[in-house]
Amino acid sequence: MPQTLPDILFAIAAVAVVLLSLSVVLARNPVRSTLLLIISFVPVSLIYVLMQAAFVGVLQILVYAGAILMLFTFVIMMINPEPHSGEIPAGSTGEAKSGKSGKMGALAAFLLLTGTGFVLIPPVHWAASHLPAEPVSKADFGSIASLSQLLFANPSENPLTVSFELISFLILVGVIASINFSRRDKVSAPQHTPPPYISADTQGEN
Amino acid sequence: MHPFNLANCLTVSILLVLIGAFGVFRRRSLILVLLSVEIMLNGVNLAFIAFNYFRWGGTESGHYLYMLSIGVAAVEAAVGLSMVIVLFRNFRDITRDRVAHLGEVEE
Repeated sequence: MPQTLPDILFAIAAVAVVLLSLSVVLARNPVRSTLLLIISFVPVSLIYVLMQAAFVGVLQILVYAGAILMLFTFVIMMINPEPHSGEIPAGSTGEAKSGKSGKMGALAAFLLLTGTGFVLIPPVHWAASHLPAEPVSKADFGSIASLSQLLFANPSENPLTVSFELISFLILVGVIASINFSRRDKVSAPQHTPPPYISADTQGEN
Repeated sequence: MHPFNLANCLTVSILLVLIGAFGVFRRRSLILVLLSVEIMLNGVNLAFIAFNYFRWGGTESGHYLYMLSIGVAAVEAAVGLSMVIVLFRNFRDITRDRVAHLGEVEE
């Protein structure tokens, strides 16, 4: 049976996303990790487009890569860690800082997760290939019009409308929480009166 | 032999979750732990969309769940990163080992 274009594209994108995610986890430089994760979202959104979820693919690039990962990049730039800080030293020399126990921990995690994969993937693969298919029936499946019909049609009785709008409350709570976290300590003196240690000649400038 | 099917999509999804979990275990910097959590969320989102396309193709419920999930991911990233900034401001150190001893008294 000849392979169709979606099959080839899916195979390339699947291999690419797994390799890129692995390199995100293994890269030594935090900035490089973040940029590799942004790149790994491109094949993911290609897979979404293949599954007739073009709008979701756009959201993946716009919101995930464009907003969330940029937030990560900004924080890394702000904190500006040294290139190898926060890393378990890889390589044969093994620095004294966190050398042996860190390496053993990473090895244990690797073995545990590989074992989990070997236990988990074959049954899931078997079950998924024996599920009865119930493919997409609508012609405009995944289009913005169809999605907005699902979310906002008949809003007074549609439970999805309410829960979708509740996401905005969640984001509001997140905004308030992060502002509250990152606020500096309370200023003891009122802002408009200059502190007493400012001398008279600099006072006149503001 | 058609690789574009539900079983392979779920395999990729499980692999992404496991890679992200490995990152959570391996990385010592808190920012990179959060980044690995994003990889795990990405795998889960892939499973949502794959089930919606191959199995329950009636309505776009999986797309809706995807939007819910990225909303939660955005909030999680914002709150987590602001906590990282506070930790950095107070301790100049954002490794997991430092944060594990937050409740203990400084000697």
